[in-house]
Amino acid sequence: MIQLDNVSYSYGKGGGVSNVNLSIADDEFAFLIGPTGSGKTTIMRLVYMELMPQVGKVVVDKFHSDKIKQRKIPYLRRKIGMVFQDYHLLNDRNLFENTALPLHVVGRDQEEIVDRVTESLEEVGLDGKEDHFPQELSGGEQQRACVARALVKDPDIILADEPTGNLDPVTSFELIKLLEEINREGTTILMASHNYNLIKGRGHRIIEIENGSVRQS
Amino acid sequence: MDKMIFLLSEGIKNLWRHKFTAFTAIFSAFLTLAVAGSLIIISQNTSKVIEYLRDKYKIEVFFKDGVKDERVVELVKEFKKINGVRSTTMITKADAEKIFKSQFGENILDIVGYNPLPASCVVNVVRQRVTKLNVNPIISRIKSYPEVDEVIYQGRLITLIESYYQKFVKGMSAVLILVLVISVFIISNTVRLTIYAKKELIQALQLIGATRLFVKAPFIIEGVIHGLIGALLAAGLLIGALEFSSDIIYSVTKLKVHYDPIVLIGILMSISVLISFLGSSRAISRFLK
Repeated sequence: MIQLDNVSYSYGKGGGVSNVNLSIADDEFAFLIGPTGSGKTTIMRLVYMELMPQVGKVVVDKFHSDKIKQRKIPYLRRKIGMVFQDYHLLNDRNLFENTALPLHVVGRDQEEIVDRVTESLEEVGLDGKEDHFPQELSGGEQQRACVARALVKDPDIILADEPTGNLDPVTSFELIKLLEEINREGTTILMASHNYNLIKGRGHRIIEIENGSVRQS
Repeated sequence: MDKMIFLLSEGIKNLWRHKFTAFTAIFSAFLTLAVAGSLIIISQNTSKVIEYLRDKYKIEVFFKDGVKDERVVELVKEFKKINGVRSTTMITKADAEKIFKSQFGENILDIVGYNPLPASCVVNVVRQRVTKLNVNPIISRIKSYPEVDEVIYQGRLITLIESYYQKFVKGMSAVLILVLVISVFIISNTVRLTIYAKKELIQALQLIGATRLFVKAPFIIEGVIHGLIGALLAAGLLIGALEFSSDIIYSVTKLKVHYDPIVLIGILMSISVLISFLGSSRAISRFLK
């Protein structure tokens, strides 16, 4: 469960969010939509506690922003898979190594790492490309690699911040379908996008954000 | 265990991934440790010289005429217990007579008709100590005994040698500390280059839930490996230079350079681990702030 209670966060030079109240249930798929600079990324960063609210509080599962200690934040992030517009893949590692990284962080043994990475890459349709480096993959493949990396640790939540921003329409729809499949298996998904045409009519809740304030539909 | 293997392999792989920064870090560690190693060898050999000189310090104590040999024995035993005294040698009146005969070839009894030579003892001071050796308290203690007639020692010379040695020890320590502090900063700045080159990895690790220790460990391991390679190179250079030049130094100064290669390697490796650990920890901690 993700909950934002009366949350405000302001960057020094403007921008941010103001008085946001938001609740996303377990297993829900919700879209966060709004123009560039409206505060979508700020909400994402507040959820994985890279930013801490200046007013109000964020609750993710048992983690409360007003009580959590800095050293406990990594344990919150282990429950969250993140997918970014610009992928955040490491160019000096191949697809297998990129995908395996979250499992090394939690100290899984090599046998389990091989099994889980293979499974995740199959799930996103990248099996057989384990040895490829990010620059050898297309934009769509890189984004699916990013989803595989998020998925490999079996997260409770996936936060996707403009994951289709660099993709063509067909690849974008394929990615959303992939996220919907993952959601059906029980993972909560919050996806930010500025492209309304891409997300309308899919039967998921749409949360509109404009100038840092939330309007739910 | 798997996590440890991963962190260790990341540290080693980083050496290859960042060849230029690795070279710079190893070279700066090598230079500092070569200087530090030279200072250590100079200090060790200077302390050998001071030990030799202290061995020559001699305090001669002459007892009043009429003090019985048994009392002299007791007094000499008491002198040995004084702090700073290494050994004592008693010279009875009979011994003094023999010494006179051996030095001048004549029996003093034949010259003056009796033995005027007093009983005495030679007091030797300790050799091995880093702190200044002050003989004055020893002299005062000895003079406090009413049986003692006269104490002869090279006061000015001892004071001079000891004060120069103290200045030398302080100067060397200051230079060594300065060199080590500078090296921590150099290593720290070099590791920072690696950290900036790996900014993306650090951010990715933080986002996927790596703890601070997990993010820091590969950089610290990498830094320590740089330091150890630098230490081995510095030890190799110093040992090679000493082996090559020891005969030349001996022929010119008649001084044999003392050093133990194993101890030297051990000291340099320990210093390298310490400075590279401090340097790389400082760099990554500042970055993660």
